[in-house]
Amino acid sequence: MAIIDRPTSVPAIAGPPTAPTFVTPRAGYGFMRRPVNSTGWRSWLFTVDHKKLGIMYGVVAMFFFLVGGIEALLIRTQLAGPDNTVLSAGLYNQMFTMHATTMVFLFVMPMAAAWANYFVPLQIGARDVAFPRLNAFGFWCFLLGGIFLNTSWFLGGAADGGWFMYQPNASALFSPSHGVDFWALGLQITGIASLTGAINLIVTILNMRAPGMTFWKMPIFTWMILVVQFLLVFAIPVITVALFLLSFQRNFGAQFFNVDAGADPLLWQHLFWIFGHPEVYILVLPSFGIVSEVLPVFSRKPLFGYKFVVFSGAAIGFLGWGVWAHHMFASGLGPVSVAVFSVATMLIAIPTGVKIVNWTMTMWGGKLQFTTAMLFSIGLIVEFTIGGLSGVTHAVSPSDTQQTDTYYIVAHFHYVLFGGAIFGIFAGFYYWWPKMFGKLLDEKLGKWNFWLMVIGMNLTFGPMHILGLQGQPRRMVVWPDKLTGDGFFDLAFWNLVATIGSYLLGVGILVFLYNVWRTTRKGAPAPLDPWDARSLEWMTTSPPKEHNFDAIPTVHAIDEFFHRKYEEIDTEHGVRLVKVKTAEDIMAEQLAAADTDIHMPSPSYWPLVLAFGLPVIAYGIIYSTLLAVIGGLIVVLSMFGWAIEPSVADHDDFDPPADGGTDKELTSVG
Amino acid sequence: MSHATTKGVRSHVVSSGRSQQSVSTVHVMSSSGHRAVRVAAMLAFGATLAGCATNAPQDTWKPAGENAQKIQDLQWWVFALAGVVGLVVFGVIVFVVVKFRDRGQDMPEQTHGNPALEIGLTILPALILLAISIPTVSTIFQLAKTDDTQCVVNVTGQQWWWEYDYPAQDGCLPGGISEPIVTSGQLVLPTGTKVMLRITSRDVIHSYWIPKLNGKRDAVPGRVHTLRMQADEPGIYSGQCTEFCGLSHARMRMEAVALYPADFATWVANETADYVAPAADTLAATGEATYVAQCSRCHQVNGLTQSGTDADGNAVTTPVLANPDLYLVSGAAPNLSHLMGRNTFAGATWDLLTDECRDRVWNASPEAFGTEYLKGVTSECLNEFELREWLRNAPAKKPMYADPNLAGPDGKLRGMPDLGLSESQIDELIAYLLERN
Repeated sequence: MAIIDRPTSVPAIAGPPTAPTFVTPRAGYGFMRRPVNSTGWRSWLFTVDHKKLGIMYGVVAMFFFLVGGIEALLIRTQLAGPDNTVLSAGLYNQMFTMHATTMVFLFVMPMAAAWANYFVPLQIGARDVAFPRLNAFGFWCFLLGGIFLNTSWFLGGAADGGWFMYQPNASALFSPSHGVDFWALGLQITGIASLTGAINLIVTILNMRAPGMTFWKMPIFTWMILVVQFLLVFAIPVITVALFLLSFQRNFGAQFFNVDAGADPLLWQHLFWIFGHPEVYILVLPSFGIVSEVLPVFSRKPLFGYKFVVFSGAAIGFLGWGVWAHHMFASGLGPVSVAVFSVATMLIAIPTGVKIVNWTMTMWGGKLQFTTAMLFSIGLIVEFTIGGLSGVTHAVSPSDTQQTDTYYIVAHFHYVLFGGAIFGIFAGFYYWWPKMFGKLLDEKLGKWNFWLMVIGMNLTFGPMHILGLQGQPRRMVVWPDKLTGDGFFDLAFWNLVATIGSYLLGVGILVFLYNVWRTTRKGAPAPLDPWDARSLEWMTTSPPKEHNFDAIPTVHAIDEFFHRKYEEIDTEHGVRLVKVKTAEDIMAEQLAAADTDIHMPSPSYWPLVLAFGLPVIAYGIIYSTLLAVIGGLIVVLSMFGWAIEPSVADHDDFDPPADGGTDKELTSVG
Repeated sequence: MSHATTKGVRSHVVSSGRSQQSVSTVHVMSSSGHRAVRVAAMLAFGATLAGCATNAPQDTWKPAGENAQKIQDLQWWVFALAGVVGLVVFGVIVFVVVKFRDRGQDMPEQTHGNPALEIGLTILPALILLAISIPTVSTIFQLAKTDDTQCVVNVTGQQWWWEYDYPAQDGCLPGGISEPIVTSGQLVLPTGTKVMLRITSRDVIHSYWIPKLNGKRDAVPGRVHTLRMQADEPGIYSGQCTEFCGLSHARMRMEAVALYPADFATWVANETADYVAPAADTLAATGEATYVAQCSRCHQVNGLTQSGTDADGNAVTTPVLANPDLYLVSGAAPNLSHLMGRNTFAGATWDLLTDECRDRVWNASPEAFGTEYLKGVTSECLNEFELREWLRNAPAKKPMYADPNLAGPDGKLRGMPDLGLSESQIDELIAYLLERN
């Protein structure tokens, strides 16, 4: 790995180019050269570029989104009518387990990782993340872990214990297929992705901000990502421990949750939810960050109460650790614990409310432009508010004992996660697409996409409030006709509406995919600054060059890019904003001041090889010790490979101009 | 009027479905047409129907006893507050979106916030939540009280049914209960009595929930959790296991049956009555032998004996004792001593009563309910179709991993296996079970 220069606005080398001053071990270590491909499939397979990895995270996450979506549609098809037989009881249990697992671990989390990978370095004016190979390793862990998890469908059935995998129902006695083993080991592997990614991003954000970018000048999306990475660093180890206990119990005869051996199955619940509740904020805070970027841009105003939004995000992160037992109000904790967790849960509504207020006040007095990204952001405010308010109704634990494990809860968390996390992700697609691919997604199709998704989600999840309050429990393969009631509260009717809504939602997603396909095929190149944006990621080309910025900008304000474009001028009508520069002007300035000596990290084989060893170990644990040993050897040997491969590629990354005419030529490999 | 029409369509669906149920897919397909008609009717008359609608039996907003009432009082207040807050927020958002849309106005002033406003809007929700949290905490402790108990019932969950046992106690009735009672499916309670359920599980975690009487409480193996229950009026209150418990979680149902104390005394007397053997040379008498041969390994009928010879060749009469521990993962099977005294079976999933008789019991007035319920299941009222299907092949009707190939590590079954009974054996068993009232 090459050294990434501490950015400076003063060119390091002036005058005619000289030979590179660092040593390149050109022929060192024989076969241990680093790959140099900058095009073709190898350039993706061995890349350590945060932007390529971000795109790969996104593509794979969207693939799993479709998988989880198909699972959801099968569930809704089964529940369209009474005593349906589309899915058997066993398959239905696998379906809802994998729907949740896929959406949480294989879609929303990696999608947030996609945005964070791609945009955090750009937003803070860095050229890559702190540990590029670790970044690649994280991606491959996620991909291979996700594939491993889903191969269980073809190897005797997927996990069937619900995504919460309560003991002892998910113990080997009650869930004898290998599904739960695949689940536990698969999540261990994706957990490595989350953990390495979190450490990487924390180090990146703390150390690699452009000169002048103090914490209080950091873009709000980067702030929210920072909070989320800290949550991950503390939450992932908890689920890792829990999953190890589970795997040891199922595979090696340990007794951590076995009542007959004197253990208590509630241990699992505590471990799972101490991870599981911060996880909720891990899922939703990145999207809060995205809409906090989008709303100011399309309101033509700075984010209202930037520090309040930062602090409320951090407060949510802290309080999120003190509320896990609200998932267990019915599990017999005793009144004191229940009262404490009930009140703690209500407290979370305060910082969340602050965010709603600040977003609304950002729009107040603005000049609102209803682009698709803006519509998804406003959609998030509305839908998330509904989810938040229903959340307050079951923070009230006596009321929760009527609602928990009914469709009312399903309604609640889909408003929070679909209306919150996923709307934010889609706002990100429409907002950042031109930056990533140089083309604008079609806005007309975008509006169709938005309205189909809004109507679809409200038709799907809205009726679930009624279903739940009328007593329809979750995780039921069938609902009987005799329990439906008549009239407005006819459960048969609302179940059917929810199913129709879910198909509509599916159509909305298809419109998005069509939009992507059409934009890729026929879309015209996007302008440099299509939204008149505010933050640093827009201060470079679209898509950005591999080294992100020709010159690392020096930051003077929160909305640095905006402040370079606009100046406040006193007129007789008071202070007015006047555009003094275009994005093109600023880009030209950047190019003129371009750094001469840019070192980019070289690609590497080892992240992929090392990650490949992990599912081999996992298959080995399930099927054969020998295989596990082989996997272990792959892991250990590739760690050595990782450690001793040359620090840069053979093809060094400073390329003196052939004609000797300029010292501004910038190239790199990867 | 329209209400009656909908009811008519519904019962038609149920009865037509039932006659064809031997092929379950046919059942689904035939009823889906009716369903479409019903849904269309619902769309057209939804508003008018709302006036005379009957809500689903597990409606969480229709308390029928003190404990559920306390939850209700609390949640009205919380829902109302949440509703008001929601309306204000949506009102402001709509206002902002309409008022500040881009009409070609100048770039707005680049204001960064308003600390006073933000602090104010932080304190306001904190106050609202304070107003919610005080009654919440108070209700939590009221619902956790156990020192005013007048009657104790032990409730044990297992895959996929509930067992109730009433320990001998001074409570429940003026004279107390002198002999323990074991039953399943339907929890029978005296009205106006503070009943405490002591809930646990024999295998995985389940959750006990009768929405009209109280919130839910998990049944965790190795732990005993208490839950207060009180019903004001006689009647049947539906419930369902609400902690995911495996394959037939959807078919683990239960009912609470509330009887006036006098009727409850009659029920207790019946449950503790001595065993009455079938008259000799009846189908039921053959059924008793079939029962002993086929069912008694797991299912208990109290007082049932069999005659045999001891090692010395002397005739002896020995009690027939079930030993489900040997055969079942949960180590328990429902006690069948008074099967026909309850009107549902197999985890309260299927009715033992025909539709007509079921309606008579379930829709009885509070005054008449006790008499109707205590009639039990008579031969005229027996819904033989469901019971027969169950005896023919239980795991086909309710998925249970009862297939021995899928049994647990020591060969134990989860739930009732396919016993391979002949049709004549089923006739005999039904005749025998019909007398277990």
